[in-house]
Amino acid sequence: MNGANEEESSAPGIQDRRPIITCAGEVELFSCIEDRLSVALPQEVCEWRRSLGRPARSVHISATFTPYNQAALPRINQWDLIRQPLFHIFWTECNDVDQYKTTIRDEIEVWLKELIAKDIPDWLIVVVENFDGKRANKLLPRTTVLDKIRTEFATKQGDRCISVLNPGREESRNADSWRGLVARIRHLLLTSYGRAVSKLEDYVRQQRERRNEPGWNFMGYFKLQEELAQVLEMLGLYDEALVQYDELDALFSQFVVNGQSGDATGSGWLSEFQRSLERWHALKLGPCALPTEPAPSLLELRAYLYSKQAHMLLLTNKVWEVASRCLPFLHACSRELLLLEISAPPGAVACWLFLASLEVLHTCNRHNQADQVEAYSLHTACLWAYASQKLRSLGDLCGLMPGRTPTSDQLHAVVYLSAGMGDCPGKPESPSPTDILKQALRSQTSFNKTYLELAELAMCTYKHIGRLRSARLVGREVASFYVLLGEVQKAAAFLTDALRTFEQDNWRDLAAQSQVELAECYRKAGDTRKYVRACAAIAAASEIDNLIRWSYFDEMQNSLLGLDRTLIVPFKNILRIESVRIVGGAASKSSATAIEVMQDSQVEIELIVESNFPREIVCAKAMIAVEADAKDAATAQKRGRRSSSVITGKDVRQQDALLQRLRIQRHLDYKENKQLSSASVVCRNAPLKRADSNVSPVYHSEFNDFLDTGKTPFVITPGMNVVRLSGRAERVGKFYLGQVAIHINLMELISVSLTPRLCYEVLREEPSVRLDKGEAALLSDIEQIMTLSVTIGSYAIETKGEKIKVLLKSSSGLSICGDVVNGGEFGNSLEITIEETRPYSTTVASIRVLAEVPSKDHQVTIICPWSSKSLPVTLSFAPPLKISWRLHTVKHRKYVQITVVGQCDRDLSIGDSSLTVSDNKVVPFHSSVGAQVLPNGMSVSFTYEILVRAQKESIPLKAEFRLRYAMGGSGHDDDDDDDEKGSVEECREYSYPFELSNYQTLYHIRAKVEPTKGSEFCRVGTVCHLHVSVSAAAHSFHGGSSLMYEVLAEPSVWAVCGRTAGVISFESDSDAETVVLDVMPLNSGFLPLPLVRLSKYIPADFGNTDYGKNELLHPRLEPFSAGQIYNGSKGEQVHVINTNSEPFSTGAPTLLT
Amino acid sequence: MAICVAIIGKDNSPKYFACSNPDDEINLQYKVLSSLDVIEEKLNTANKVTDFRELFLGTLYSLESHKIYGYVTNTKIKFIIVVDSTNTALRDNEIRSMFRKIHSIYADNICNPFHIPGEPITSKSFHDKATSIMFGTV
Repeated sequence: MNGANEEESSAPGIQDRRPIITCAGEVELFSCIEDRLSVALPQEVCEWRRSLGRPARSVHISATFTPYNQAALPRINQWDLIRQPLFHIFWTECNDVDQYKTTIRDEIEVWLKELIAKDIPDWLIVVVENFDGKRANKLLPRTTVLDKIRTEFATKQGDRCISVLNPGREESRNADSWRGLVARIRHLLLTSYGRAVSKLEDYVRQQRERRNEPGWNFMGYFKLQEELAQVLEMLGLYDEALVQYDELDALFSQFVVNGQSGDATGSGWLSEFQRSLERWHALKLGPCALPTEPAPSLLELRAYLYSKQAHMLLLTNKVWEVASRCLPFLHACSRELLLLEISAPPGAVACWLFLASLEVLHTCNRHNQADQVEAYSLHTACLWAYASQKLRSLGDLCGLMPGRTPTSDQLHAVVYLSAGMGDCPGKPESPSPTDILKQALRSQTSFNKTYLELAELAMCTYKHIGRLRSARLVGREVASFYVLLGEVQKAAAFLTDALRTFEQDNWRDLAAQSQVELAECYRKAGDTRKYVRACAAIAAASEIDNLIRWSYFDEMQNSLLGLDRTLIVPFKNILRIESVRIVGGAASKSSATAIEVMQDSQVEIELIVESNFPREIVCAKAMIAVEADAKDAATAQKRGRRSSSVITGKDVRQQDALLQRLRIQRHLDYKENKQLSSASVVCRNAPLKRADSNVSPVYHSEFNDFLDTGKTPFVITPGMNVVRLSGRAERVGKFYLGQVAIHINLMELISVSLTPRLCYEVLREEPSVRLDKGEAALLSDIEQIMTLSVTIGSYAIETKGEKIKVLLKSSSGLSICGDVVNGGEFGNSLEITIEETRPYSTTVASIRVLAEVPSKDHQVTIICPWSSKSLPVTLSFAPPLKISWRLHTVKHRKYVQITVVGQCDRDLSIGDSSLTVSDNKVVPFHSSVGAQVLPNGMSVSFTYEILVRAQKESIPLKAEFRLRYAMGGSGHDDDDDDDEKGSVEECREYSYPFELSNYQTLYHIRAKVEPTKGSEFCRVGTVCHLHVSVSAAAHSFHGGSSLMYEVLAEPSVWAVCGRTAGVISFESDSDAETVVLDVMPLNSGFLPLPLVRLSKYIPADFGNTDYGKNELLHPRLEPFSAGQIYNGSKGEQVHVINTNSEPFSTGAPTLLT
Repeated sequence: MAICVAIIGKDNSPKYFACSNPDDEINLQYKVLSSLDVIEEKLNTANKVTDFRELFLGTLYSLESHKIYGYVTNTKIKFIIVVDSTNTALRDNEIRSMFRKIHSIYADNICNPFHIPGEPITSKSFHDKATSIMFGTV
């Protein structure tokens, strides 16, 4: 069961708290089953019910057996029943009733009387039966011995008598009865034991109440309560046993505190602990005993208590709690030593603390399970650190620190301390803490080794559990140890780590302190470069005393002289960029984010730097890196650019999340059925996100392109400094300002890349050429002036000594001339020499252009020497006049109307119009008037009668209309002197050729609407007759020709009844053909006659040999051209009256022409 | 009386540091800094379980000479009080009330429109109040 019990019983001085059972009756019978019984008892759990409402617990119980002895029975009301015989069993083997009556009965009677006399209710009578084969076959006896006993001794408590088959014999059926016996004993034993325990508890409580009475002794009480703890431990209730020990612990602590505060009534016993310390034997976990002679010292008592607590914890598998309780325990011990003013030889307490912590650590390591590493590392880390501190203090005391030699006094101290530790040899492969400490104190090397080992373990464990800061602090101690050892490089490594952590958390004081220590390390190591770096940091640290800063500043300047190559140091706290500004330059037109700078001009940056150096320092030069924008604009946008040419300190510094405006948005959650489920506000820009640690390493970018201060050295004073940097913008493109670098001797201080990125754009303006017309549109046939302007861009054009010539070439029909003043020759190409070649200069040249009349679109190609591509300019010329003609016919006479529309912006004066039509004679309708003014958009018409001879065929006639025109009105333009020279231009002739064909009149039509016979008037809604007569012109008669006529009546005015179209054939006769159609007027009033349209009708079989088959199937219609048909009744109207009303006028239908 | 009062910002940088013995300040700073490990640990592990209203973290860790107590506001501002470990007069309840007082004067101080959040506290009146809390004279 509980192996601890055996351990305990074997260990000297450990009390056996098993209940004692006495045996009476046939003792020899019992002796043969004693062993089996004592083994069987603790094998199964038994439920233990307790008083005071405490929960029932399942416990294992075991027992010690002794022979019955009346004298040993406890007295009535004795409290320490635990140590007395508790339970009494009478054993008998008697099966014979008669024998029972004679002897056994009396024995039992005596035994029981004695027990009752002592008021002991816990007894049991066991009758062991021995079965033999014979008896089994017999009938059961009427009364057995058991029955007899039961009736005589235990009438009320039947469970006090039990029979059992002799378990000595290995028979299966015996097992049941045996089990019954064991269970009975277990139950009864526990009942009595429980009673005993509660008695003990009562007594303990009673004793505790008396603790302030004089004469009360803690140690006595301690033993009492420990007995209770041991009882609980025996029963396997380790947690409750731990509670007892914890109570003792707390009670003792309270006494010490009270004793210190003078509230020491009744604690005279405390002075016993105030003896000076003579032994500091190592704390030992596991079985141990409280020394009794001499009385235990404070440390011994504490150690004993702790080891008991640890024992209970280990039994309940709480290894990590052993570790977690250790440090408070050690602190409490050392504090109590102080409070009680216990004198101890120097180092003795440290020895003890060291040994204790190491013992705990070793024990934990032994019991550690893989799944508890995390939980227990949390507590062991500080223990390792504590142990290393203690060892170091011991080393200090004994002169074992590196660089020191122990004096004889110190050697004596070591011997004395070692003696006080006592001896506790461990195994060679796992030395005990005492061995380790003794070994460490023996020599410096072993001390160093042990110390570094412990510290390393502490650091590793701290790092493992994520307590980086604590690990760094141990690292600092190790570093100081290494400094003593002279291994400054190692020390520097630890210090650098610590520094990084301090900087990460922005603990400036600590960082500065570490920086000073680091500087010393580097100085000792002779690492000038790092030394300079550290010196610079110290010199700029405002947390440090000014005197120290000055001295390190001087150190830095001196050491700088010893550098052999450039040393790069980040700005960090040394310099701070307050603002950066691009001076000058125009804000970009294209994007608002960049400053525009023209190529080849100066870019100037004004940099305001705050120096934290304690004094002025001479800088060789300052540079700012310039990075060309290689990436596309979108990514640059993301990085956040400033929309101005300035970044101030506010921008350079990291944005404080606390000061950011929260972007709170409405957030609605809908259920599935679109009902609102919840409404809330959401902050999208998560301002609580931790900013990246600002100690990201500063990369030294390539200072390929940069702006600088030039060669002259300048001085940076503490506080604000304005530094002007400039450079020539050579390349075109967008540039970002990158890092700032300031050179001091060979030290190069560099900043982080400036964010947000400040950018400027270097631009180049290309030369440009323009060909501009005047205000008005270009007109053909008139000489006009255009201007060619050539602007040189932002750079001068390479000419190789020659002059720049711009070549213009015009398309055919357009001629150009460069000479405006003298009126030179027009040509198709023109070369213009540009004299002015300075950047941004513009040369303007006027050229004359002249387009030929019928042409409209022209092109001028400009060829520039600086561009391989030629530049085409499309010019559109409009004619100054627009002329149209129309043919009019009266019977066979022909008239031509010519309309002239002015298209020129300015007035034109026209005159001398004439028309010539082949050899026909032309008679103008108008008298020959002089010049006329034709403003823009106005028209003038001229009408001529053409005297044509009637012919069978109408020969196409070539006609040409001529007109003379001139720019400007005849008279009133003279006032406008600023008008162009066109006003005095000579008259030009405009000729308009056209052709007349199919002009001969072939047919005449007459149409007439008459009411039906008997009616006087045409009435609305009554059918009338439409007489259409078509007659062929005499001279143009074609025999056998057919015509198609169609009546095209306005459907809202006329309804044509019956047919609307038909074919008329002209046979040999040239008489007029008349067709009568029925039409019905729909409105009253004077209605225009329905229109009659004639077309040539080509029958289906006409010319069947010449045409394709498809065309043969259908007859075709061919329209006549204007002038071939003369409609004599065009424009006539007929008067229609309403149906029933009287006509408004009684007159005959009037024909209006 | 406590021997040190410190206010640590959200980013773990010190915002205010006062101690009874200025010569000891650097050493105390090291101790306070390392206690941040424990605070972080407690915040990370206990966040889900513990009551949010309980800002007092109890003893962060104890040294032979000192005991360090912690308190974290909802905005992760840490208050730390260091007490001499021989001082038995200050129990958890007293420490708790000291923290509450510090919290209240801290809240008053950052309500000042001239105080920039996240900057170290330099206000003299704050310092006076904080030291009087530290010395237990309030």
